[in-house]
Amino acid sequence: MFRVRGSSITKRLTTMNILVSGAALLISCAAFVAYDRVSFRRAMVHNLSIQAQIAGSNSVSALLFDDARTAESTLSALKAAPNIVSAGIYTPEGRPFAMYRRDGAGENLELPPILSGQIEAHWFEDGQLTVVRTIVFQEKPAGTVFIRSDLQEMSHRLKRYAGIAALVLFASLIAALLVASVFQRAVAEPIVHLATIAGIVSRDKDYSVRATSTGNRDEPDILIQAFNEMLEQIQQREGALQRAQHELEQRVRERTTQLAVTNKELDLRNREVERATQMKSKFLASMSHELRTPLNAIVGFSDLLAEGTPGQLNDKQKRFVNHIKQGSAHLLQLINDILDLSKIEAGQLEMRTEEFFVKDALPEVLSTIHPLAMAKNIRVEQKVESKSLVKADRVRLKQILYNLLSNAVKFTPNDGRVAIECVDHWDFVRVSVTDSGIGIRPEDQKVIFDEFRQVEGSANGINEGTGLGLAITKRLVEQQGGQISVESELGKGSRFTFTLLAAETTSEVPPVAEPPTAPVIAASGRLTPLVLIVDDEGSARELLASYLEPEYRVATAESGAEALKKAQQLRPDAITLDVLMPASNGFETLAALRKNPETANIPVIILSIVDQKQVGFALGATDYLIKPVRKPALLETIRRHVPLPADDDSSILLVDDDPKALELLEETLRAAGYETQGVRSGRRALDVLANKAVGAILLDLLMPGMDGFEVIRHVRQEAALKDLPILVMTGKTLTAEEAALLSRETQALLQKNGSWQQQLIVELRRVIGGRKLAKSAGQS
Amino acid sequence: MISGCAANSLQCARPRRAAGSRRVHLSQLMALVVAWLAMGASCLHAQQSSPTENQVKSAYLYNFGKFVEWPAKGVTGGEFFTFCVLGDDSFSSTLETTIAGESINGKKVLAKRVAKPQDAVSCRILFISSSEQSRLKEIVAALEDTSVLTVSDMPQFTRRGGMIQFVVEANRVRFEVNLTNAERAGLTLSSQLLKVAIDVKRSAQPGS
Repeated sequence: MFRVRGSSITKRLTTMNILVSGAALLISCAAFVAYDRVSFRRAMVHNLSIQAQIAGSNSVSALLFDDARTAESTLSALKAAPNIVSAGIYTPEGRPFAMYRRDGAGENLELPPILSGQIEAHWFEDGQLTVVRTIVFQEKPAGTVFIRSDLQEMSHRLKRYAGIAALVLFASLIAALLVASVFQRAVAEPIVHLATIAGIVSRDKDYSVRATSTGNRDEPDILIQAFNEMLEQIQQREGALQRAQHELEQRVRERTTQLAVTNKELDLRNREVERATQMKSKFLASMSHELRTPLNAIVGFSDLLAEGTPGQLNDKQKRFVNHIKQGSAHLLQLINDILDLSKIEAGQLEMRTEEFFVKDALPEVLSTIHPLAMAKNIRVEQKVESKSLVKADRVRLKQILYNLLSNAVKFTPNDGRVAIECVDHWDFVRVSVTDSGIGIRPEDQKVIFDEFRQVEGSANGINEGTGLGLAITKRLVEQQGGQISVESELGKGSRFTFTLLAAETTSEVPPVAEPPTAPVIAASGRLTPLVLIVDDEGSARELLASYLEPEYRVATAESGAEALKKAQQLRPDAITLDVLMPASNGFETLAALRKNPETANIPVIILSIVDQKQVGFALGATDYLIKPVRKPALLETIRRHVPLPADDDSSILLVDDDPKALELLEETLRAAGYETQGVRSGRRALDVLANKAVGAILLDLLMPGMDGFEVIRHVRQEAALKDLPILVMTGKTLTAEEAALLSRETQALLQKNGSWQQQLIVELRRVIGGRKLAKSAGQS
Repeated sequence: MISGCAANSLQCARPRRAAGSRRVHLSQLMALVVAWLAMGASCLHAQQSSPTENQVKSAYLYNFGKFVEWPAKGVTGGEFFTFCVLGDDSFSSTLETTIAGESINGKKVLAKRVAKPQDAVSCRILFISSSEQSRLKEIVAALEDTSVLTVSDMPQFTRRGGMIQFVVEANRVRFEVNLTNAERAGLTLSSQLLKVAIDVKRSAQPGS
């Protein structure tokens, strides 16, 4: 109030002062007045009592001598006291004896209450004090006196006190305000000052300002000094912090420069490494190409020689040619394995993971294995119980299976047994290959998966592997997230077991899902014509299957009922049907097949010991052969009825820069009944295509000038050639992109390795035959 | 007023268990006296007996003993406060009944008849009956140099050497005082007593 400032502490101090002093004053005034009132009343009672006593004792004689007049005159002396309203004297019996009234005559005064046991009583009533006293004279009651007084004096006095109290209160408040202003200067001002400085510091972040000391050694001053010290410390730390920050920035700059330099070096080195890697890849690719190409020639021509295509050889020559064949095949396998292994080691082996059933991958492998097994009269059993899709690279899985199965066949003596099992096991599918072979010694089991380790002591000429097969197999399994192990007993056989990751969704994929456009290699076995062999004898089925494979895919049925079911399910390209079967005979089955429109058009070739051709043909048999059937006759008959790719009016365009390879291909294809035309560059190939229609192109990828990829691009740009089948045959190691491109644009991909000739024929038949089928389906 | 009379009569009639019969007697008497004086005859007819003049005078006589101081030397009678009556026998008996059992200043009161003034020397208060009017001079002379308070209802008593004289005025018993005579006897009359006296004489010729 005295200092107009917005600070709340000043206001609060002032308010506090006023409130405290006001409250104290009010309480003390109230107490004083209350006390005064009490003591004043007591004094009034006392005075009145004395007056009553005096009046009483002065009236004793009047009472005793019955002199009311004297008593009244005695009472009239009370006029001197203006506060006395009335007074009276009564006889001991309570009769009024003498009266006095201040206002002159009035109404009769009532009798005062009779005292009981006391000589005096008083009471306040209606603003009046009444005292009643027994007049005692010589220990005997002589009468009663009462005096009544008003309280005007007391009320005057109280009014006066109230006035004084108000005055004192007012004066005190003024004094309190004055004192408060002094206190504000002493207490509030330093705090307000401190608050202002703190505000400046927090607003401006200026730590150099200081609060001014009051000079007194009191708490606010201590507060100010502490605040200043704090500011000092903060200022110092701020400075230190800024210095540290500067240093840090400097260091960061230095480091950044260093990093940039290092980065540049790293970049340089990285590029060198990349170049080295590229060079290695190139080296591997050219190795694979350069080594395989001449080997292919050696293998291919020795095959042709052995088959007697250029003319019959004498026995000695045949033996020599076989030595060449075996030696070169071994060498080729070795090269392939080394390349595989080095790719795995270099981390360049690309896995193309897809989801499929193991049993879908089996037939292809088995078709390769069967001839090997049959040569040694080894029974190959398969037991596929797995219902799960696996998540794996199909090609690599086939490689694994082939390695294990060929090993098993290799180390199993004649008339032995090889089995492949496939079961679900938790999140895995477990595949095991068991043989009844020579077995592996326990100490060898540990090293069997190492590179170039072969089991010693098997001196009986079986030892003809590269020693890399199992090492590669192990790595392939592990790269796909599986594990491989072996258990074996010497002399009794071995069991190799590996696991594959099961795909998470098993139910969504139908069991016989045959994607129409599957990857080239994967699809190669699938579009091979399927022949359903129906026979109740297992050995007969096996024999027929071995005749048909690998040119045809084979499915088997043990009974007529199963045959009907499978025929409807698989839609085979042909059915061989035995007549004499226990449950329902072949003729019934044939009739049923013909009745069902879905199976009515499938060619059915009856194979039977009984000669009932008329019945058979009457029921709709396509052909009728009498058992025992020989392989060429069966194949010829089936070829007659199952559309085969070989077609005279379309030749195969062969594109390869290597004349030896070209000649080998020409020989191979001609032997299989195809017409060929060979060119040695991509440019030439395009010229030929521009002028002449061909059935298919067999294309090498690595050629000088225009390479195979360019040829494919050009061919696919031509509208007329868009559907022309292209088969790629290469020794090149493909990258994922290249493989993807080829699988998209071409119909088959063949690796130039050991058994390519047979596969080539199969693929050609599939591709060309498939195209023809598609065409005829489009026409009809 | 009838109810007031009834109340008074009831109160008067109520026996006081703690008090002796004589004491009751005086209280009753006093009450009767006052009642009679204040209320008049209309009320008094209800009382068993209205106070006679002699009874009132006896009570006054007794009261005088309370308002008078006797000199220490001149007091005789030992432990008794003696009231003496000279003359009329009837008053003497009334007095005796009235003050029986009372005491003044711790001394028991005693009433007795005296035949001659010389016998009254040992009395504190001497009532001289009107019958002794003729020999008043002799009596006063006989009591000279004693501290006996002389009271009488004979006319001119205070003029003739007496100290307190009863006067009946408007049916009420009053009294007048000759202070000089009392002081000569060494008596101190209380101002209270003088206050209610109808006349206080100061100058008087002794013996006149």
